[in-house]
Amino acid sequence: MTSQGPTAAERFLNGIIPENPTLRQLLGMCPTLAVTNGVKPALTMAGATAFVLICANVITSLMRKAIKPHLRILVFTLTIATFVTIADRFLQAFMPEMSKVLGPYVPLIIVNCIIICRCEVCAAKQSVGIAAADAVGVSLGFTLGLGAISVIREILGSGTLLGLRVLPQAWPNWGIQVLPPGAFLTLGLILGFVNWYSGRRAARA
Amino acid sequence: MTEATPHGGFWSQSWLVVLLSLAFGAALAAVEITLAPRIRENKRNATVSQIPELVPGAVREASRERVVGGATVLAAFDASGQQVGWVVPAAGQGFADRIELLIGLDATASTITGIYVLDQKETPGLGDFITVRERFRKYFEGQPTGAPLKVVKREVTAGSGEIRALTGATISSEAVTGIVNQRVHELASALAAAAAGSES
Amino acid sequence: MTMVAHPPDRVGPSAIVHVAPGPHLQDAAFTTRRMMADVLVGLAPVMAAAVAVFGWFAVMQVGICGLACLAAEYLFHTVMRRKPATLGDLSAVVTGAILGLSLPWSAPWYVGVIGSFAAIGFGKVVFGGLGMNLFNPAMVGRAFVMISFSVALGAGAFVLPDAPSVLSQATPLTVGKMTGEVTPLWPLFVGNVNGSLGETSAIACLLGGLWILVRRAGTWDAPLAIVGTVAVLSAGAQLAGIHPSLTVGHHLLGGSLLFGALFIATDPVTSPLTRSGRAVFGILIGLFVMVIRLFSGYPEGVMFAVLLANAMVPLINRWTVPTPLGGPVPGPVQKGGGA
Repeated sequence: MTSQGPTAAERFLNGIIPENPTLRQLLGMCPTLAVTNGVKPALTMAGATAFVLICANVITSLMRKAIKPHLRILVFTLTIATFVTIADRFLQAFMPEMSKVLGPYVPLIIVNCIIICRCEVCAAKQSVGIAAADAVGVSLGFTLGLGAISVIREILGSGTLLGLRVLPQAWPNWGIQVLPPGAFLTLGLILGFVNWYSGRRAARA
Repeated sequence: MTEATPHGGFWSQSWLVVLLSLAFGAALAAVEITLAPRIRENKRNATVSQIPELVPGAVREASRERVVGGATVLAAFDASGQQVGWVVPAAGQGFADRIELLIGLDATASTITGIYVLDQKETPGLGDFITVRERFRKYFEGQPTGAPLKVVKREVTAGSGEIRALTGATISSEAVTGIVNQRVHELASALAAAAAGSES
Repeated sequence: MTMVAHPPDRVGPSAIVHVAPGPHLQDAAFTTRRMMADVLVGLAPVMAAAVAVFGWFAVMQVGICGLACLAAEYLFHTVMRRKPATLGDLSAVVTGAILGLSLPWSAPWYVGVIGSFAAIGFGKVVFGGLGMNLFNPAMVGRAFVMISFSVALGAGAFVLPDAPSVLSQATPLTVGKMTGEVTPLWPLFVGNVNGSLGETSAIACLLGGLWILVRRAGTWDAPLAIVGTVAVLSAGAQLAGIHPSLTVGHHLLGGSLLFGALFIATDPVTSPLTRSGRAVFGILIGLFVMVIRLFSGYPEGVMFAVLLANAMVPLINRWTVPTPLGGPVPGPVQKGGGA
């Protein structure tokens, strides 16, 4: 199989901004909305997703010549589920507090469409190096998306950043940012900004 | 495998899936064996670390799990090995979702010595006062278990059997009190039954 | 709903026929500005009652919200979207006045400011400006601050212990729901009770609402449907013995029911286009209000009821497409007009 299309470096960079999973492709919305009321849970979630995505992409790429096309979804899901279970048990063992905060959203990484999308689109067709670079790039993009939303929500909703107080005690916490509506509003505003910015750049180019 | 079916035979189709299942299963088993003790320890710690707070005089190392009335509770001991109380996990429906509590009782389960909210998802800024407001926990300390505790909307005196509802968190206050009443009643009757059984 | 003359149709084989919901009146005097001015006049008695009960708190709160709404409108609409200035149509002032009157007297200044920016920003400009918004902007702003600052706006916020006046009492619906005390109906009618600024006096709401209806700045269908539904359901609740201290009179005169029915549900942009549609809209609001009042943790539910019913307006419009003169139009189902 000859590798056509973007090189490893291009795929890596593509995943971060131009094809950012959260802000451009709107994939993986469930964790994006559910765990971004604090930076720490958001980054933990991004880390767990990155682990699963990179492992699944590498394994899928290694097996790509042996996978029967009509069984590929089964193989992808099997691979992803294994690494999600490993990530979940690791969090429970070494970060019990975070595991409690993230609750069911760690097991739900299994159905995160970013991962199955990368397996299907990239890893099943490309060599290991390209698949790994792609996974790392998309993981960084996902981290960026979750990070951006969670920074805004944690500062406005709790007056803190990573648990450290950044706004004065007198700051009235915006409870809405801790609750689900804040996730939708913040995501919408960031998407609007990204679209406005890229539209302006496209108009200038 | 000589069949000329369109997709080939069973094994030529499925060898990868079977192989992966076996390999991943083995990997998960290894992870589970390595991490399971640690995870159990974490869960136990979440409960045990609260023991000195819940039962005055108790030391966290000296606690033992006991089965009372079909449920596991912790018996709390002081430094000299004397049993000073019980720590009882309890749970029930709150305003938004399940509330999980630990209830501390004295050795005869006749007085509540403290409560601790393990997990709750009540409305931030209102219902979560049950964990944020320290004085809400204090209302429970020293309350007798003879009669169910009552939630009222005025100042209360300690040990009077009354809990003052938190403003803006009435339903959550009532939920916590209800969970405590129910679980304490269950435990007290189970202990009484056990005591009667051992004497006869 | 701005009354703009439709652009002249192009003629010829590719002519586009503009189809727009009525009214098609093109009266130079019947402008957004005039309608909004009528609403403001209608709010005047409510404002007067608020000042009589709460004094300077009322002036402060409504002033902050009005100014903040104007500032938000200018910033979002004129500066950021580079559209012509719309401050003169008074719609932002109306949003600010309704938002201010729906807040408790005790809410700190930032509640009004943040609520106003949320009202104009999330409630109106993101949808494309006045006439395009799905939800009542003032209620969007109030919901935003209600969820954000639940302590500053919850039932406890209204009460100032040790105050000599009505400010030391809990609001009538809270009292009825939580302690079972019965508030006499006469104070509810004249407004000598605690509550959000604009909701306390039933007589002021009725007077102002009557002005709006007479001047046709709003229609009577939705308010009538709301009041009727609440009357029927609260009578049922009273017979069934749910919260026995709250009678039909309390449900009708207490809380922000009349204020909401006459000033918020009459908003022509966020209510359905047809008479039968507005009746369905009003019944839905009445239903939601009673469900929230009787069965939820909140003492009052007009705000959430209006927002929920707003969300159903496109659907209601679809259901209630009127039959044109000359019989139903054959062919594919007509799309309901979106206001």
